[in-house]
Amino acid sequence: MIPLLILSPLILLAALGAVWKARPVHAALLLALALALNAVLYLVIGADFIGLVQFMVYVGAVAVLIVFSLLITRPGDEAEEISRRPRSLLPGLVCTVPVLAVLICSISRVTTPSAGEAPAFSVEQLGKALFTTHAPAVVTVGVLLTAVMIGAALFARDPGKKPQTPSDP
Amino acid sequence: MSMEDQTSIKRLPPLSQWSLPGLGLLKGLVVTGKNMVQSFYREDRMTTVQYPEERAPISPNFRNFPFLVYDNDDSLAGLRCVACSICEKECPPQCIYIVLERDENGKSLKRPKIFDIDVSVCMNCGICAEVCPFDAIYMDGEYELSTDNRFEGLLFHRERLAKSAAYHAKLRPEQAAEVEARRKAEEEKKLAAQAAKEAKAKADKEAKDKAAAETEQKGESA
Amino acid sequence: MSLLATTPFLPMKLEFLPRLPQMLVEVIFHRLGAPEWLVSIAGFIVAASTVVGVFMGGFALLSLVERKTLARIQNRIGPNRAGWFGILQPVADGIKMLTKEDIVPAKAEWLLHLAAPILIVIPSILALGVIPYGREWTPVPLELGLLFFFSVGALTELSVFMAGWASGSKFPMLGAMRAISQMVSYELPLIISALGVVMVSGTLSLPVIVDKQAGFHLGFIPAWNLFTPWGLVAGLVFYIAAIAEANRCPFDLPEGESEIVAGHMTEYSGFKYALFFMGEYLGLFAISGLGITLFLGGWQAPLPGLGFVPSWIWFFAKLAVVIMSFLWIRGTFPRVRIDQLMRFAWLCLIPMALLTLPAAAIWHFAGRGLLGWVTTVPLLLIPWVIITVIYNRRLSPSTRIYRFADS
Repeated sequence: MIPLLILSPLILLAALGAVWKARPVHAALLLALALALNAVLYLVIGADFIGLVQFMVYVGAVAVLIVFSLLITRPGDEAEEISRRPRSLLPGLVCTVPVLAVLICSISRVTTPSAGEAPAFSVEQLGKALFTTHAPAVVTVGVLLTAVMIGAALFARDPGKKPQTPSDP
Repeated sequence: MSMEDQTSIKRLPPLSQWSLPGLGLLKGLVVTGKNMVQSFYREDRMTTVQYPEERAPISPNFRNFPFLVYDNDDSLAGLRCVACSICEKECPPQCIYIVLERDENGKSLKRPKIFDIDVSVCMNCGICAEVCPFDAIYMDGEYELSTDNRFEGLLFHRERLAKSAAYHAKLRPEQAAEVEARRKAEEEKKLAAQAAKEAKAKADKEAKDKAAAETEQKGESA
Repeated sequence: MSLLATTPFLPMKLEFLPRLPQMLVEVIFHRLGAPEWLVSIAGFIVAASTVVGVFMGGFALLSLVERKTLARIQNRIGPNRAGWFGILQPVADGIKMLTKEDIVPAKAEWLLHLAAPILIVIPSILALGVIPYGREWTPVPLELGLLFFFSVGALTELSVFMAGWASGSKFPMLGAMRAISQMVSYELPLIISALGVVMVSGTLSLPVIVDKQAGFHLGFIPAWNLFTPWGLVAGLVFYIAAIAEANRCPFDLPEGESEIVAGHMTEYSGFKYALFFMGEYLGLFAISGLGITLFLGGWQAPLPGLGFVPSWIWFFAKLAVVIMSFLWIRGTFPRVRIDQLMRFAWLCLIPMALLTLPAAAIWHFAGRGLLGWVTTVPLLLIPWVIITVIYNRRLSPSTRIYRFADS
């Protein structure tokens, strides 16, 4: 309980900072911090595998992706700031209030298991479950990611120039 | 010139140019490995001169600042310099200052009372050495001249500048040998001319005496 | 402790030398009547301090050995003024780094500027904790040790970005961009080549992976993962990717002095710069240690009769050999360009690393013996030949045509 009490406000603050900070890089780094603290939370409650994978994937890949794209597309970031004043509040509310309602409903419906042994599972069981019971999902995600990669490679390729023939003197 | 003449990117290189990928890398590794191992016992693979304890030999063509030559171990009386001031006039940045020594009557003693070179101004051109008619000033090769006094330490006086002809011979053997030979030849020529003049004077005197003796004899007999 | 007392042969007693500090502290605390949790905490602190202390000493020694080895390769003597054969040179370097003025540019974000070197050293030290240095001596024997290693490696990339961006000037930004793209590209072959080992050993735990490489084929060839067909390729890919991950020559574009000053470390001076170097060298130790654990059998002895030598000596001997090979490579090869670097990672290393996975599976199911070799060697060799032929073809220049020169 104590780790949850310590970590949750920190995660909340980091996430709020990620949304509210004016400079994009600060926001990205605060997002990375929030995700890292999430990973720490998972580790504390005993979900080792998920915690480490969360760190590796979210902090090591997603946050780096965000940061990298910021670096490439906005090198002159010092002077720019995202305007803090929202243009109008209504679209934001329309998007966020239903999501908040769904989240609150689903969280309140979760039944905590009775106090007993935490279910311990090993990486082997996870792997077996992933590749036998949930194999279609894994394969679908794999195909999707491959398609994304091919698409990105196609977008990033420069249109090949024909080698020029030297003109006769 | 058509495209087919050149080995374009689209075609494979000829079989003779195929090589195992990575072989070049391994050859490079062997070269540096050999260098590393052999640097412990072979002279030509360890060319470092550890400066304050060892010094690299300087070439006889190296010139730095000038020095004054003296003969015969006497650093004052043997100075070849006669304070003619030709080097002072020819020096492009005018770094030489000469004062001729005169005795109490004002007659020149043919040696410099003051001979100062400001090495912070000297540009090592060697013109002073080229124009000196008395072989008195040549370029030195000393390079460890650091001092902690910017003005006094870089103004060289006559005592500092005077170095022996033996030092010149050690520094630039060829040049010193040529200078020595030339001076000796001139000396001998001078001596020979002197001896010839004396002989001629003696012969003239004898002739004159004889003529005088003959006229006396003739006068007596008349 | 009883195990120590009952081991007869003195060299075998030396086996326990690395655990001596921890054992001593635990004994002392027990004698003082401290509660159990305090004893274990004290034991952990001492074990962690031992690891960090040993590797800090190794870092100091390595900085000197590197300079002297590079010097010998380059026909000169390395540092030899600071002590007998320059042995006090790292001390002199440390004093210099500590007493230098710490300059933070005015346009820099001082918090991120300060945090970046710290966050670069932390993953390296964390990663050093899961490597098995000797028989039953892993500082933190996690069941998910390999995953932990790669997860903390992910923090390094973010810290490099922080270092580059927080400095607020062009060279660090460029350097950080190049460094991140290099690290991300080479992390893939690193992890994929390690996956083959995980498949064959069936576990993510590093001490167990070392245990599975015990034994000898034909009586004298050790059963290390390097001496298998897929292990050879995966080991080579891991080696190259490790050099790139550690930003060492020939992949040291992020810190190439003649190109972008010092890349993301340009605006750092004094102790922060020393922290960057510490992070780089400790990361080198960590990744070499991982490579040795995965492919070279960790602390196993290379020949059957040499089992009496303490296991940690074998580990550090192998570490010394691997690090000397890194130094040799640094002194030999020129730096690769950023596009050559990327092309090499994506077009050569990743396909080869991916191929080791089915190769490992086929080798395992073909019985791990001669049949395994016969079936997997073509699977690995033919694509390699194809890749290198294509690679070389794209890179070989076409014959020049001189329009105005006489033939």
